[in-house]
Amino acid sequence: MNLGKFFAVRGFSVAVAILGCLALDYAAQTYLQDYIVRLVFLAGIYITLAVSLNLINGITGQFSIGHAAFYMVGAYTGGTLTKFFYDASPLGAVAWLIAMILAGAALAGVAGLLVGLPSLRLRGDYLAIVTLGFGEIIRIIVINQPELGGSSGLGFAPKVQGLWLVWLLAVICVAVCRNLLKTSHGLAFLAVREDEVAAQAMGINLTKTKVTAFVIGAAFAGAAGALLAMNEGYINPDLFKMDVSFLILTMVVLGGAGSITGSVLAALTLFAIPELPRLLKIDVSLAYLIGLTAGAIGFVSLLRHHQQRYHGPKAKGRMITVATVVGVPLAGLGLGWLLHTFTYLSDQTYELNNLRYVILAVTLIVVMLLRPEGVMGHHEFSWKWVQKVLTGRKPVAEESIS
Amino acid sequence: MSEHLDLSQVNVDELPVVPNPLLKLEGATIQFGGLIAVNQVSFEIMPGDLFGLIGPNGAGKTTCFNLITGVYKPTGGSIKFEGNEIAGFNPSKIARAGICRTFQNIRLFGALSALENVMVGGYLRHKTSLLSGLALWPSAIRETEELKEQAMQLLEVVNLTDVAHARARDLPYGKQRRLEIARAMATNPRLILLDEPAAGMNPQEKEELKEVVLRIRDEFGKTVLLIEHDMKFVMGLCEKIVVLDHGEEIAAGPPSEIRSNPKVIEAYLGEPV
Amino acid sequence: MDALFYTLVGIDLNWSSLPQQLVNGLVVGSIYALIALGYTMVYGVLRLINFAHGEVFMLGAYTALLSSWVMGFSPDAIRKFYESEAAKKLADPSYVERSIPADPFNLVIMILLAMAVCAVIGAVIEFFAYRPMRNQSRTAALITAIGVSLLLQYAGSLFLPASPPPSVAMEVNPYQTNVSVTLVPAPKEIRDKFDDSVSALEAAKESGADAETIGDLERKKNDLEGQVAATATAITMTQGKIVMLLTVLVLMAALRFLVLKTPAGRSMRAASHDFDSASLMGINVNRVVTFTFMLGSALAGAGAMMLVTFEGTSMQPFFGMAPGVKAFVAAVLGGIGNIPGAVLGGILMGLAETLVTWLGFSNYKDAVAFVILFIVLMFRPGGLLGSSKVEKV
Repeated sequence: MNLGKFFAVRGFSVAVAILGCLALDYAAQTYLQDYIVRLVFLAGIYITLAVSLNLINGITGQFSIGHAAFYMVGAYTGGTLTKFFYDASPLGAVAWLIAMILAGAALAGVAGLLVGLPSLRLRGDYLAIVTLGFGEIIRIIVINQPELGGSSGLGFAPKVQGLWLVWLLAVICVAVCRNLLKTSHGLAFLAVREDEVAAQAMGINLTKTKVTAFVIGAAFAGAAGALLAMNEGYINPDLFKMDVSFLILTMVVLGGAGSITGSVLAALTLFAIPELPRLLKIDVSLAYLIGLTAGAIGFVSLLRHHQQRYHGPKAKGRMITVATVVGVPLAGLGLGWLLHTFTYLSDQTYELNNLRYVILAVTLIVVMLLRPEGVMGHHEFSWKWVQKVLTGRKPVAEESIS
Repeated sequence: MSEHLDLSQVNVDELPVVPNPLLKLEGATIQFGGLIAVNQVSFEIMPGDLFGLIGPNGAGKTTCFNLITGVYKPTGGSIKFEGNEIAGFNPSKIARAGICRTFQNIRLFGALSALENVMVGGYLRHKTSLLSGLALWPSAIRETEELKEQAMQLLEVVNLTDVAHARARDLPYGKQRRLEIARAMATNPRLILLDEPAAGMNPQEKEELKEVVLRIRDEFGKTVLLIEHDMKFVMGLCEKIVVLDHGEEIAAGPPSEIRSNPKVIEAYLGEPV
Repeated sequence: MDALFYTLVGIDLNWSSLPQQLVNGLVVGSIYALIALGYTMVYGVLRLINFAHGEVFMLGAYTALLSSWVMGFSPDAIRKFYESEAAKKLADPSYVERSIPADPFNLVIMILLAMAVCAVIGAVIEFFAYRPMRNQSRTAALITAIGVSLLLQYAGSLFLPASPPPSVAMEVNPYQTNVSVTLVPAPKEIRDKFDDSVSALEAAKESGADAETIGDLERKKNDLEGQVAATATAITMTQGKIVMLLTVLVLMAALRFLVLKTPAGRSMRAASHDFDSASLMGINVNRVVTFTFMLGSALAGAGAMMLVTFEGTSMQPFFGMAPGVKAFVAAVLGGIGNIPGAVLGGILMGLAETLVTWLGFSNYKDAVAFVILFIVLMFRPGGLLGSSKVEKV
């Protein structure tokens, strides 16, 4: 590829990305309710968080489960700087927002360096608990700083909404990770994940690779945190509890550790699952709850049984799968309908809104039981794959850096 | 004649040419607690050698490899590579200095394809920065392409071009062994260490492997140090052999000498040498 | 030395309260140790961090609560009892009001029920959620564990009484009397002053002094009594805490016997040493795993029951998380997979927390667990009693 053509293509794609994000921002502000705009905003944040954790966890294989810590460092950097220095600065709102994103990323990157260093000595679960502990320590320190608002939170002005910047950040994060895997640099990270001893014997510097992954991943999370803080104008330590770390980790594993596509899809889905029931104001009676629970249990056990025991022709196998996927939940609903005739079971009702985390938990367990390697496994989205699905043929020369 | 040699009188050109050893172990020792796994082992490997390291089970052969490649730090003695002390360096630095190895229990990057495995081997000669990779800069793309080409050539040497895109984990055992050799070759080492490359192979695979090893030495000019259990394989392949037993060096020399050395026979008691 | 410490760190140390704090730490630590044992045993056998263990603890607490309600200690029943007593008193002024008789037997039933229910829940979780994941990657199993933990928390908040956070009625607990041991009595001059004030008061009463003088003397006596109590080094704890410590000791001794001396324990140790080989040697590993889960969960249930009964902690469906995480840290601190390590880690954790409170940093109580963990892992990457296995090359 000659240089001129390269810059033309690169310039074009960057322009498309920026314009696309601006267009999304404009469309969302014009046509959607504030509540939905906020959801779109948070979706972008979660994509960034999941993809950046995937770099540490899925691609480099360092089992970090405290990603909310970096998110928090970014948010508090943005919040504190704005509170104390915005008035004195000559920058406009958007320029200030961009400056805050960079500052949040930088400080979170430093935090990533701090957490990355023990990863040289600790493996697996020990590293996991250290990363988790780092998040808790930071949170408790913040709670005890009155200057940072303590446990009641930190408010500051102005609020700057940068929906387009959030999505641009998500696009950049995805692009950076994908680029890494497209070049041989990514191979060093994957090699560290696969076998540290062999990677070292191949001349790969473990320290540098692991710490780099931590710093880049943390910086993206920090940038996302700064954007969140500037959007809300108020942050408190409860926004960055362990649950948030677990949610991000779940997105990575559910999507398929190492797969960027998987992280993005899982981030969107898992983010949407607790939010959708808020929009639908439905009451569910105990009868339907029992029916659906039975349906879910039947669904998982039948599908697992089918996965493990079925060795017949493929077409028939697929038909059985489809029949189970459609039939069993319907049967569950039917059972619910039957039980609904008992007044004891139909009088007791629950708002769907209160069930949202139960639904999330059940989804998690079901996906893990049926597809432990994650929805996408090690695979990435590619046009060849679309072609394969559409035409049912295997494209020639499959090449993928997993 | 005066006791002091007057250097100014010596004509450098008239001195016999003695090549410097590529790798020189002097009294290399490692102790784990009370156990001395490798005790005072010394040998020299000259450039272009096909060198064998043999000994019964538990003799300390693999530990010796681990000392050379930096997995363990020796507790005594010195290890010099091209005249420079390398004892106690970390493994990646030693790999960069020009020593690369394979592993007794295969350690491939399982989820990566065979081609990618070999590309990882070429990674240490990378010149572009990580930043150019993250930005997908043309130089990084070009370098990746080059690495891919080199890796393909190496796969050809070990006869694995047909499975270049298969996952390393899915390859049959013999192919995995050869892939490990190709991966080590990709670091472009001056000394390559093979840890029981023929273990678990059938006679035909062993013949193929022998050819590969000879090609590495003759065609690519690498120096080879190998550990092997199979006496026939070593005797037929190596030109110099060191025998270890209980961490100590009990014999050294060409195969013909080793074959008749009573100490070696004793160590291998019962095994035809 | 105190003065030096004060000028250096700005903390005024109250040495006479230290023994009391240490004992408090021991009590808290013994509960952490009980929970940590569950983490460590499961980890030892399956190499799985059972994130749902904190929720098993929570369910144990609720079992204790609900069983106490069934036995007649529900808020309603207690209110009715006192109302009827008050009515009797109203009808017959000579009637002496009774309080609800607290029977230690109730406590035995509660703890056994909590242990049994937790054991069953542990086995059920293992069967449905973890067994299918056994041959999968450990990350996948971990995510399943997080899923189970979330499910129990949120399903719990649907079905269990949560607001206001209920607690086990005080009336259940017959061991509320304080027991006090004086280690170092108050300084002699204070005690002498106190004795003087007592005799002065008696003398004044005998000599028929006026009410004002007696009142003054009485105030002085009470004041000095307080001083004596404050300057003496004493340990005061409820009988309940002593019962708690003893029960923990008994449970741990039973566990030790079970693990070291019985065939089931031997299979457990074999499985934790090498799971696959154990199954090849004819050990029914499924049964071992179920047994391990039941054992660990039962210990958590016992801990939960004692905490909510003797300490009166109020519960919510989310309240298993914090002790769960701390106990997990304790298990890692001691060397995860190592049973004595879990006990050591738990007790150290409890002591550290109360010591931090004693130093005046009670706000940082929850962080100290992790700080200690960091320090220990820096020097011993495998925990205090655990071995960090060196990978064989």
